[in-house]
Formats: sequence, structure tokens, C-alpha cells
Amino acid sequence: MSGVYEGQAWVFGDHVSTDQILPGAYLDRPMEEVGSHAMAGVDPSFAGRVRPGDFVVAGLNFGCGSSREAAVMALKQVGVVAVVARSFGRIFFRNAINNGLPAAIVPETSGIHQGDRLRLDLTARTLTNLRSGQAFPLQSLTGTSSEILEAGGIVPYTLRRLGRSP
Amino acid sequence: MASGAMTLTEKIIAGAAGRDQVRPGEEVWAAVDLAAMHDSSGPRRIGDTLDRLGGRLWDPQKIVLAIDHFVPAANPRQAEIVTLTRRWARAHALPHFFDSVGVMHNLLLEQDLVGPGMLIVGADSHTVTAGAAGALAVGVGATELATVLVTGQIWLRVPPTVRIRFEGALPAYLTARDMAMEVLRRLGADFAIYKAVEFDGPAVGGLDLDERAVLANQAIEMGAKNGIVPPTGAILERLGPGPRAQGRPVAGDEDAAYESEHRIAMTESPPLVAVPPNVDRIVPAGNLDGVALDRVYIGSCVGGKAADLRAAARVLRGRKVRVPLQITPATARVVQETLRDGTLQALLEAGAILQAPGCGACAGLHSGLLGPKERCLSTVTRNFPGRMGDSTAEIYLASPLTAAASAVAGHITDPREFL
Repeated sequence: MSGVYEGQAWVFGDHVSTDQILPGAYLDRPMEEVGSHAMAGVDPSFAGRVRPGDFVVAGLNFGCGSSREAAVMALKQVGVVAVVARSFGRIFFRNAINNGLPAAIVPETSGIHQGDRLRLDLTARTLTNLRSGQAFPLQSLTGTSSEILEAGGIVPYTLRRLGRSP
Repeated sequence: MASGAMTLTEKIIAGAAGRDQVRPGEEVWAAVDLAAMHDSSGPRRIGDTLDRLGGRLWDPQKIVLAIDHFVPAANPRQAEIVTLTRRWARAHALPHFFDSVGVMHNLLLEQDLVGPGMLIVGADSHTVTAGAAGALAVGVGATELATVLVTGQIWLRVPPTVRIRFEGALPAYLTARDMAMEVLRRLGADFAIYKAVEFDGPAVGGLDLDERAVLANQAIEMGAKNGIVPPTGAILERLGPGPRAQGRPVAGDEDAAYESEHRIAMTESPPLVAVPPNVDRIVPAGNLDGVALDRVYIGSCVGGKAADLRAAARVLRGRKVRVPLQITPATARVVQETLRDGTLQALLEAGAILQAPGCGACAGLHSGLLGPKERCLSTVTRNFPGRMGDSTAEIYLASPLTAAASAVAGHITDPREFL
């Protein structure tokens, strides 16, 4: 699997739920409009300050709770290129991969600080903190999930399985 | 352990994948028995994807659609989503379409659409609830569900199974919600990420389907891929010979390998409460005695079933609530059943307010949302910030017994003195 991403870290804590990533108040909006509310339940200023290419970094169980795909789409719409955590809510993880957003599980994220420059190398399967020099092996993105991500998401992947061109 | 022994979850995946055996960690493609979605995750979110995939549904007989999230609609946007959903169901002539008569998860169980050994995929995290009938039920996002609607298949990584065995009896002052909270208190909100959780033991054997649904439902709050309650006794009889006749598994092998096993005796547990903002910040209700409440809420797929309303009535019969108590029954049938047996009358005479069946305020969409810093004791699914409205509102979670007792007291209290 290939791809190298570099960007600044936005750091969040443990157990950040999809109710916080995209609160229920915005669930009745069209999918194209959810970006401006990304992370509204944790940091309402996030959507206005995050820049295309940035990373979201968290601790345990990021994206737990509701299956709302809008949580992933909101992060994508504001330009987040990768989410990094020690573990993910399982449905959020699948939603991320299904929409072509790399969800990297690494053994430790406590050494990553707000604004650190990170490099995610999907070929070398490492996440490097370019400020501290610390590098971590990826524990996710193997097997079927890496094939889906490589295809650009579950829709192009499924079209290929069905023998149609994406 | 015999080399071929499997847990119930592993057996279901093996069957759905056309394999004799699977092992944890393997990835397989599995044939889905039933795919479910609702007005929030359904037609409005999958239309474009279905078009890209060719638009042809794999088997309308195996697709369930329920309008439950946006009714009663709080604004024209929500009403528009409901209308779009209803028109889509008609256009596709879906045989299993439920229009504003309750929560999808409860309807699946109530209408006998799910049974042991089935593989259920739903576009909602609480799809796991169907594990109450011994099914393997997993939640996915809308786009992935759309691919299932076209192919009838899903890829699964075989999860290791964690076994929770409830020893002894369940005291009358506790409910299945206390059992689930006892698990969360001991093991936390993420012990089961990417895993299956199987609930069994003597205290589970005595639970009806409504109470088993609580255990399966709360597996998602433990982080699990699925929660499963192998059907036993009256439950197995109710489900009839169908599943077994079809060759579907109804139990794991006795010598199956579990990743870990935990034994819990509820006789030692007090009534419990989950303190915001986490589902696993669990303390005895008595430790919070006196914490003033603005409101009490009984409802949702996990806490608005007939068993929950009956439990609340045990406390409320002949008493009056001191703070507003909203009740959102999970389904229209729950309303009918509790009307017939006198439960509703007891609740209403105690001063409870009855709302339309459905998801209610649990998804933070309508019907009694919480304002800034408002404090509510609730039987809903989870207490994450913003779950029922404003992100500064405080949602304490408890059993319907504790919720009803606290509504009478006007503050959080141990229900034992009310029984």
C-alpha cells in the first residue's frame, strides 16, 4: 500500500465519540454541509482553524459510539488527511477506510503535541513525529482494509469486485 | 479444547462464509441474512452510492427500513428526510418497512425478523441489539450498508470472543442495565474493541428477550463488534424449530476457546449509575444520593421497552414524580402492551409524560433535548457529551428502577427503598 502524508497534528484525548465529532444537531443537514461543524462537540473553533493536510491525533477509542458516517465526512471536508489513535471505535474505523481516509493505529500517541509535524508513510508502515524524531509502526491497515483504502474507498473497491470499472 | 471447536460468533461467521471453520484474526467474505437501516442512515445517505453501484437491490425481502430517528420531526428539514425515506420505501416496494412505529432495533426483535445463527448488518451502532436472539449483528456506516444492499455480502475479521458469565441470581432491585453497567465498571468502555462479547450464565438464563436486548445493546458501549446471548430455555422455545431446522447454530461448542472469561455475581452489586461524560464511570446509585435532577428520561432502544416501563411502574405505582419524567416507548407495540396491562396508567397517574414511540431524544435530534448544564437521569443508550442535546448537559445513566425512584425523589437515589 502506498502513500505519504505530512501535516500538523490536532491532538485530542481518549474516548472522543462521534456525538462530539459531529453532534446530533447537525445530523439533519446534507452531507456536503457537515464540515463546518467538525469536532463541534469538543472544540467549536477547530473547523475554522484546521488546514488542508492536517492530521487528527487521539488516544484510545477515537470515534466511539454512533455509526454516523458524517463524522468521517466532516473531518474529510475540512481537509484532514489522516486520523491517528491508539484505538478506534470499530464503525468509525471502517467508515474512515470506506471513504479513503487512512485510520492509523499506533501503540502510543502521548508524545505527540498540538502542532507537531507528522509524517505517515503507508509503504514503510510508519508514523513519524518530525519534531521529536520518534517513529511508530502502524498496527492497522493490513488485509482487506488496506485493499479498500488503496482502491480509494469501499465504492470503487466494490465496483472492482463486481467486475466493473470504478 | 478440540481443534475444531468454535464460539457461537465464530460458528455464525463460518456458516455465512461457507467454511467449516474460522479462527480469530482471519478475514472472510460473509453472506448477509438481513440488512437494516433507518431514516437517518438510509435512503438519504445511500442514494448516490446505490446509483454508482448500479442501483439494483440484492434481495428486498432481506432489507429492513424503519423511520425512527426523525419522527416526530422537529423542523422541516427532518420532515423532508422522513418523506424522502417513505417515498424510497414505496418505490422499492420493501416488504419490511416500518413507518414511525418504533426503533429499528426493537422492531427486528418484536417482529421476529431475527433469529439465532443469522448474520445481521445494520447502519446503526446499536444494530448489536439483535444479538439478544443469538444472531451475529454488526453495525456499519451508510456507504458500506449500500454495498451490502447490492452484493448481499460483507467482509468481516473474525473477532476473538470474550465471555461474560453471570453467576447466581439477579436480585429484584437490579435489571439487565445494572448487569451491563457492572461489566463496564469492571472492564471499561474499550475492553472489547474489535471483539465479540458473549453473555451467559444462570442470571442470563432467567432474562426475557427485552432484558437480553440490554446486554447485547450495551456491547457497543464496551467497544464490541457484536454482543451475543446464546438463546436458552423459553427464548429458544419461542424462536421455534426454524433456525435449527435450517441448520443454523444456536450455541457455541462447549470446548470453544475464549480470549478471556469473566465471572460476575450480581448478588454483590448495588444499583448502579454511569456518571457523565463516560459510559464506564460507574458508581453505586447510593453514592450519588442527593444529586439534584432537572429531569428524568425513560426511553430508547435499550431503555424504552415494555420491560423497562413495567420496571418503572413497580416503583411509580401509587407515587408522584417530583421532577418531569418523560417516557418514550421503543415501539408502538410497547404502548399497546403496557396500555393493556395497566402499566401506562400507573406511569401517567404518577405524573409521567408520554411521547411518541421512536428514538426520542436519545439521538439528540428532537423531543425533549437537554439545554446547557441541564442534568438528566436517563435510561438511554449512552451519556457522551451532546448525546441528548447541548454538549454541557449532564446525562446520568441508570436502570428504569433507579430512574423511576429518582424521579419520585427529585434527585438521584437508590431504588431499593421504593420496592
